[in-house]
Amino acid sequence: MSLLSRNRAHRHLGDDEFADLWSTAVASGEPVADPHLAACAQCRARYAAFTAWLDGIHDDAVGEAEGAFPPERLATQQAQIMRRLEALERPARVIAFPRFARPATSTQGHAQRWVAAAAAAGLVIGLAAGQFFDVRYIFTPMRTSPPVPQQNARLATPPPSIGGPSVVPASVSSSVSDETLFFGGDQTRISERLSTLRSMDDITPRARDLDRPR
Amino acid sequence: MTGAQAAGLPTREADSAAASAVKALQAEGRLAEARERYAELVARHQRRAARIAFHYLRDSAEADEAVQDALVKAYSHLASFREELPFEVWFTRILINGCLDRIKARTRRERWFVSMPESPHGQRDFTDRVAGSGPSPEDQVLGRERRQKLAAALARLPERQRSVFMLSHYEGCTSREVSALTGLNESTVRVHLFRAIRRLRTLLTEDGASSAAGGEKRRVTS
Repeated sequence: MSLLSRNRAHRHLGDDEFADLWSTAVASGEPVADPHLAACAQCRARYAAFTAWLDGIHDDAVGEAEGAFPPERLATQQAQIMRRLEALERPARVIAFPRFARPATSTQGHAQRWVAAAAAAGLVIGLAAGQFFDVRYIFTPMRTSPPVPQQNARLATPPPSIGGPSVVPASVSSSVSDETLFFGGDQTRISERLSTLRSMDDITPRARDLDRPR
Repeated sequence: MTGAQAAGLPTREADSAAASAVKALQAEGRLAEARERYAELVARHQRRAARIAFHYLRDSAEADEAVQDALVKAYSHLASFREELPFEVWFTRILINGCLDRIKARTRRERWFVSMPESPHGQRDFTDRVAGSGPSPEDQVLGRERRQKLAAALARLPERQRSVFMLSHYEGCTSREVSALTGLNESTVRVHLFRAIRRLRTLLTEDGASSAAGGEKRRVTS
């Protein structure tokens, strides 16, 4: 017999000892076996009161829980569980927004994505290439400007402004003719093109003709 | 003899057999039959599960949801159920974890929202309060007060002590069963049970003593 048990055998038991005895009995599932309790009627009575208090707690708690779940409620609960289990086995439905209603797993979406990506890539490559190469230079026949002859600068001068001082750009020489400026220095080509342009000019109505009062 | 022991081994064997059968039916793709067979298990464990969930959550609607969730979860995860463990233990673990998650969520919610004061008659309908063949109104009031005190005292226990006490005392589980359910050592279960009872005794006695003293004081002043 241990010292604690011997001490216990000589003095009355308290709540701590009762709790110890009861929890040991409940945990092991065996009846209480204590020498003092067996010998002392007073402690046995107090222990009986202690277990009655615990039984009261048990009855209150279990009664309350049973009251919260009457058989009808349990039946409803079981039906609900079975419905949920049935729903669990059905495949989930994807409800699309009506405007964009289309099957979520179609391959069309993939193709569209590829087309969009290719278009975006083409645009980016085109812009980048445009930065490096000036396409206009590639297709222009003459890359260098011809020498400018000093004739007929009539068209190079800006139109005279009404009532204001005329401003002539410093960079444009007044002696350079329009024909020379447009077609270079080749006189035969100038005369050929000028004749074509003049015939067109003759049949084009002038603004002053339209403004004339009838 | 405890409640779990009274339930007996044949029930456990029947549970394990039913769970294995449902598992096999699920694997074969015979889902309607699997559901039918699982309904037996639901019927067998539903009441006890509702009681445990109610002890934890103290709210019948939330306990109802917790039980449903646990049973649905057990069905959908039955493939991971090992036959050597009793179905009851496996399922109760799922249920308790669900209840603890709900308590945590509720605690987080209550940090932000002020709950409405509970009506003096709890969640019961008016028709329940009409005089009938049940206990007298005075008994009902006293019983409700006693239950509220007990619930308040239980709420003040640490989580493990509360779990061990409820499973041992309310559900009649042995320390081995509680150990399997909570993942604690058997000796730790005993210690928690002892501490829980001692603390409850102190809390409820203090409460009773203080209310008695308050009554005395009121009588003296009047």
